[in-house]
Amino acid sequence: MELKVYCDRLSQPSRAILIFCKANGIEFEEVKIDLGKGQHLSAEYEAVNPIKLVPAIVHGDFKLFESHAILIYLASAFPGVAHHWYPADIRERAKVHAVLDWHHSNLRRGSIGFIFNNTICLAFGIPANPEAAAKGEKLLSASLARIETFWLQEDGPFLLGNAKPTIADLALVCEIMQLEAGDKNDRDRILSPHKRVVKWMEDVKSASAPHFQEVHAIMGPVREKLEQLKIQAIENPE
Amino acid sequence: MELKVYCDRLSQPSRAILIFCKANNAEFEEVTIEIGKGQHRSPEYAEVNPMKQLPAIVHGDFKLFESHAILIYLASTLPGVADHWYPADVRERAKVHSVLDWHHTNLRRGSVGYLLNTVFAVAFGMPGDPKAAAEGEKLLLASLARIESFWLQGDGPFLLGNSKPTIADVALVCEVTQLEAADENDRDRILKPHTKILKWVEDVKSATAPHFEEIHATICSAREPLKKLKAQADHKSE
Repeated sequence: MELKVYCDRLSQPSRAILIFCKANGIEFEEVKIDLGKGQHLSAEYEAVNPIKLVPAIVHGDFKLFESHAILIYLASAFPGVAHHWYPADIRERAKVHAVLDWHHSNLRRGSIGFIFNNTICLAFGIPANPEAAAKGEKLLSASLARIETFWLQEDGPFLLGNAKPTIADLALVCEIMQLEAGDKNDRDRILSPHKRVVKWMEDVKSASAPHFQEVHAIMGPVREKLEQLKIQAIENPE
Repeated sequence: MELKVYCDRLSQPSRAILIFCKANNAEFEEVTIEIGKGQHRSPEYAEVNPMKQLPAIVHGDFKLFESHAILIYLASTLPGVADHWYPADVRERAKVHSVLDWHHTNLRRGSVGYLLNTVFAVAFGMPGDPKAAAEGEKLLLASLARIESFWLQGDGPFLLGNSKPTIADVALVCEVTQLEAADENDRDRILKPHTKILKWVEDVKSATAPHFEEIHATICSAREPLKKLKAQADHKSE
């Protein structure tokens, strides 16, 4: 049964799904939906996902969107996926659900609030919004602190104290990697107080090598392009 | 094994869990943590949930928060829960996950943004932010429209076209009913155009009778006291 993953590597949840598939040897076709060119708003893509967001998958005749639902589906539908990604134990699984849910209104909300409003918006022709970016940074920093004090525990290097990564580790680390699209000084300012988070990111990278690096290779060129747009925006204020 | 549900009936996700438990004849102890009195910030409650939010459960020695994770855990653990609440089929289950995920950033975000800044701000002694309220209302209306045009499409009366409710129906309807705390004119302005939504709320009410109505008594009786608080605050600021 054919699996198509509709995604843009600029999108954090898209990257999580790509890395998960590659790390688990899942055969799929990557269909690029270029957000910067507005391809997610096309009639063709609407037939795949009426909500017009990426990522989405089509597996045979089954369509699905929302990255956490997709990660859970892939972990459950493909027998070759190692169990640690989405534990069978009801209680361990519940903890994975809890951190994925927490992510929506905390890390993701803060991260998007910051990086979209100070950098990525430029790729869509929207001017930067420093007030919204500051609000986002506050929530982002609070979320990173919470990851260090609560979600990363003593027993193991991954979220929830696990010895091996779950889908939650991939989802959350890909979110933090979005900072790579912005100014290096901003990224260092935000991340450097959180040494445990930095180590955890390295652990997730190692656990899903070489796919993590390969999927994230886009971030360098994206950062350079966005730097150009920022310079232009400063030189040509409207 | 003892199950304790820490909740406040004024909280939408708290109600969803209470209704689900009662509709499935679960044995549990309801422990009221009054948000209005700041009980969620007590050191005792921090032992239960370090995030200091509601709802949370303690099942034997197992602690869990985030309402969607709790609903999934209870559907998987409580004896005698019918399959329709959280289908075993991987694809049907994936669809339930996707609407629960969509809910975080759409219906819930819009509803909370609107109500917090119009109705509940006053009760918590804070000024409401009119801009945030307007943004919240916009997202709330868009979400209600999306539920009607997409999530309620299909053969049956429940979300995803199902003939019987899932945990997603209870979770999302309890968000819609939060509008009972608002001024009737505002509530009617927002809800009355959405006849499909109103019917769906009735269907979920019937499917979980008599518990739905019983558990909603608190939010329905909050409207008048909240109106009085607002009138006092408006009077003071004149």
